[in-house]
Amino acid sequence: MSGRLLRLAWRNLWRNPRRTLITMAAIGLGYAMLLFVACLMAGLRQQMIESGTGLVLSDMEVHAPDYYPNRPTQQTLGGRTGTDVSALVADIAADPRVQAASPRVCGYGLVSATHLSAGVQLLGVVPDQEQKITVLQTRMVKGSYLTGRMPKGVVIGDKLAATIGVKVGSEIVLLTPAADGSTGNDLYTVTGMFHTGLDATDRGLVLMSLASLQELLRLPPGRIHEVGIKLHDITAATTAAAALEVQLNKALPVRVQAWPELAPELADYVQFNHRVTFILFFIFFLLAVMGIVNTMLMAIIERTRELGMLMAVGMRPVQVVGLIVAETASLAGASLVLGAALGAPLLWYLQVHGLNLGGDRGAVSLAGVVVDPLWHGRQDFMAYTQAALGLAVTALVSALYPALRAARLRPTEALRKV
Amino acid sequence: MGVLLLIKIGWRNLWRNPRGTLLTALALGLGLTLLLISLGLLDGSHEQMVGNGVRFDTGHVVIQAQGYQDTGSQELLLPEGVVSTTDGFLHSEAMKHNVRGVSPRLLASGLLSSAANADGVRIMGVIPKEERAVSLIPQRIVEGNYLNDDQQSGVVIGTELARKLDVKIGGKVVLMTQAAPQPDSKTTGEEGGEMQSTLLRVSGIFRTGIQAIDAHVIQLPLPEAQALLGVPDRVTQVAVLLEREGDSQMVARGLRKQLAGVPVEILPWRESMPTMAQMFLLDEAFNYVMNGVVLAMVGLGILNTILMRVLERRYEFGLCSALGLRPVQLAVMIIGESLALTAISLALGLVLGLSAHHYFATAGLDLRRFFHSGLPTAFDFDPIIYSRLSLTRIASSVGIVFLMATVISFYPALKAARTELPGALKVF
Amino acid sequence: MRWQKGSAAICLGLTWLSLGQVSQAADDQRAREIVDQVARLFISQSSIATVEMQITKEDWQRNISMQFWSLGESNILVRILRPQEDAGTAILKVGNQTWCYLPKSNRTVKMPASMMMTSWMGSHFTLNDLVKENRLTNDYEIATSFEGQRDGVVVSEYTLTPKPAAVVVWGKITLEIRQADQMPVRQRYYDEDGKLVRELSFSEYKTVSGRLIPTRLVMRPLDKAGGKTSADGVVLVDGVMRPTDQTVEQTTITYENIIFDEPISEETFSRRNLKQ
Repeated sequence: MSGRLLRLAWRNLWRNPRRTLITMAAIGLGYAMLLFVACLMAGLRQQMIESGTGLVLSDMEVHAPDYYPNRPTQQTLGGRTGTDVSALVADIAADPRVQAASPRVCGYGLVSATHLSAGVQLLGVVPDQEQKITVLQTRMVKGSYLTGRMPKGVVIGDKLAATIGVKVGSEIVLLTPAADGSTGNDLYTVTGMFHTGLDATDRGLVLMSLASLQELLRLPPGRIHEVGIKLHDITAATTAAAALEVQLNKALPVRVQAWPELAPELADYVQFNHRVTFILFFIFFLLAVMGIVNTMLMAIIERTRELGMLMAVGMRPVQVVGLIVAETASLAGASLVLGAALGAPLLWYLQVHGLNLGGDRGAVSLAGVVVDPLWHGRQDFMAYTQAALGLAVTALVSALYPALRAARLRPTEALRKV
Repeated sequence: MGVLLLIKIGWRNLWRNPRGTLLTALALGLGLTLLLISLGLLDGSHEQMVGNGVRFDTGHVVIQAQGYQDTGSQELLLPEGVVSTTDGFLHSEAMKHNVRGVSPRLLASGLLSSAANADGVRIMGVIPKEERAVSLIPQRIVEGNYLNDDQQSGVVIGTELARKLDVKIGGKVVLMTQAAPQPDSKTTGEEGGEMQSTLLRVSGIFRTGIQAIDAHVIQLPLPEAQALLGVPDRVTQVAVLLEREGDSQMVARGLRKQLAGVPVEILPWRESMPTMAQMFLLDEAFNYVMNGVVLAMVGLGILNTILMRVLERRYEFGLCSALGLRPVQLAVMIIGESLALTAISLALGLVLGLSAHHYFATAGLDLRRFFHSGLPTAFDFDPIIYSRLSLTRIASSVGIVFLMATVISFYPALKAARTELPGALKVF
Repeated sequence: MRWQKGSAAICLGLTWLSLGQVSQAADDQRAREIVDQVARLFISQSSIATVEMQITKEDWQRNISMQFWSLGESNILVRILRPQEDAGTAILKVGNQTWCYLPKSNRTVKMPASMMMTSWMGSHFTLNDLVKENRLTNDYEIATSFEGQRDGVVVSEYTLTPKPAAVVVWGKITLEIRQADQMPVRQRYYDEDGKLVRELSFSEYKTVSGRLIPTRLVMRPLDKAGGKTSADGVVLVDGVMRPTDQTVEQTTITYENIIFDEPISEETFSRRNLKQ
């Protein structure tokens, strides 16, 4: 019976093609717009995450269990004896979820040039490997990034350079408490300056070669503080971290932390953005309800005679309700398909070309990250499906009132209507 | 037939089916209501974002010694007399309705020690009553109390700092800083002044959710800070909070006129907090997109409703034509009806929309009810959004909806006027 | 550098408290005099001293030899003699300025004020402890809290309670002094909750340059942040991993010799001299 009902419902819709098409267009376009917004917002979130993690943090980090958040210099991976660094990095990189991994050493101390000094964070990296997990090298404004050719070269933020009065080629002293209690100090040359747009980074970070920092800190080559990781899919970071932790713990006690843990401010904003998009969905559903109810009510009023006749020849009220609901469902379904068809090229355009909002203002900084004014979309199929499901539910709910009205028609009265 | 008569007929047509008319009017009106609500909330949250953001830093407008923005050197203080001139101007009859608070502050760096530990801090010497009107720190006290005017040796610190120093309310801390060089000292200019320290007791602990503030900012009474730094009667900056963000430029200009010739910099927040300004622009862009989409959806709703309404009456129009009404007259009648319907809808929508706006403007929308977990605490946000609608916004919303409804009704009007008689009269 | 439990005005043996004239009962007056005398043990017009410092931390141990010069209240020079890798490192304080010379880099760095409160060479003393002259007077109320035998020695213990306006972080300080020769034995620092935060012990009393002074001082942190011991009995000792018998964190300062009031030229406290 239901199969026939659906076919009947579908044909009923097309008995008044203009009305059906108009409503379909309205709802379909609305759905297309939801897709557009969902795509845009997903792109924005993706960009923010990449921006927030891509410069310095990386998607995920592997540390010794007690390392985070205080970062004591003594808490290296593998304790005081350290570990086979290249084996560890290779192990991590072998995981299918991991795109690249890179070892790092972290410290803090004083940077000084002539009369001026400043407290800074020191990060020791292997330039070739580091460039695969972060993009700081794209933010150089003067000079060049670290290279293997200058082991005593350092790269600092432009604001730090201004504070202590140095240029590219200047010599600086780094002072730090070494792992054996002595005061590590040595001379380095500024090979380049970066500008990230993040005050804390531009004022307080000194990037140098891993080996040099180990030397400064009096740490043997086997002792590092973390392994930074870039994943293929950054949105799956948290699950990947849990899985990797279990796996690595078989050989070495570690803690693996994904970016939401390391950058909670960013994680908060991303989640919030995600949810604000749903307010838009809500508005759409409200409008859709009105539209559908309006259309279906009018359809029923127009077909009073017909419905009366159907009931007179034996159609039961419940079946009438079923018919109306089926019609509404078909209408909604057809609208969705139309909307998806209209939206698809728009989504493709967004992803490939992006939407440019105020291009000449330059990059902006939001919740601790830097965002481009050119927004690229990103497919958020979860959101698309949720919108579709929401619409389906909305449509069914909207069908109830007209359906009930139809079911309560009395055949004798209905037949008398002209 | 005269146009007036046609319109009268149009009007009565509406009321032949009161329920249908009202339903349609409601549908249309709801579109306007939704537009007003979403505009109000988006505008409100946007303003609030700025409002909150500036309240964690230097307010809507800040007055500082020239060069302070670039160097941040604690030796750069406002010349004498600036504070009183500023005060006088901002509290004058002309300006005082625009101003929410004026707070003079002395800023410096120092070291705060407890028995357990010590850490570098950012010192803010403030006048509690004034600071309350400008900054959000006084509103974010989680333990103890904020400073008050008669307690001279209290200090408020952030939760992160309290944890690091292992101090509680009433605990002792010693603040050490480098005082300004005294004019009679023998030291050369480069050397700075004496190291001074003072004993303070923690009177309150605050949490802003912003790591940098909770771990490093402390506030103490202005006279105490001035004594410590050896600069009686001097301050670093005056932070001004306004009723409306939009007045920032105007107030800044007014102040510049008042303080012409004095070596100060008067900066509206977009200049003193460039990262905040960029965040604001991003949010604005975000809002444009959202508004655009809501408007489009409302437009679609209107399209659907009106077209439905008109197209369904082809039979009736066919009858009119058959009875002798000329196409033009028919068109005028339909348009008249549409206008009347639109007017009713707009009235309905406006009433609903403005009442909703009023509710949200006073009680606010509590986001916590929508987002049970994970409201960003660290993101300059209050969980309650207050709706804000300017007259321009309301007028333009009504205007746009009216325009959309009218334009949309032209098509069916024209179409109906050229209806084919036999086709329209078909009953089945 | 790990932040140590730095205090605002504690000086290793150069001064602890400088007390004033507010007197109460007669024996409080006597107590005050005694404590005052003890506080002045290391104060002089000038001093030159050779000092050994042994630092024991959770992860490493070091022995450092250094030489101290002081002139008046505001000129201090410290130069490290051993170990080899730090030899030549020097700190100069003149007035409000503090400079540090690093031989390895052959550079002189100006130290910001906040460095004064960080631990000196990783020890449990801060630079502030070492070089800051005590200017405070009338900071504490003094009362005798115990008189009798402890560990076979007849001592008097005085409890010092900070006056309400005193710029110190401590809740109270107790000072134990030998009755026989007024030599300090132990000084304990408590926070306002009465928790013992650190303890300074004195021993090896010798007569040097005409004065009887304790030549060995041991500072031990006792609160939850300090007092850590090596987890596996192995530490980095002077750069080499060795088993350790020391299990408690502390810093020991031993005066090899000290000369008071010998004339020192001002030239000693110049930046040129830093680089020697």
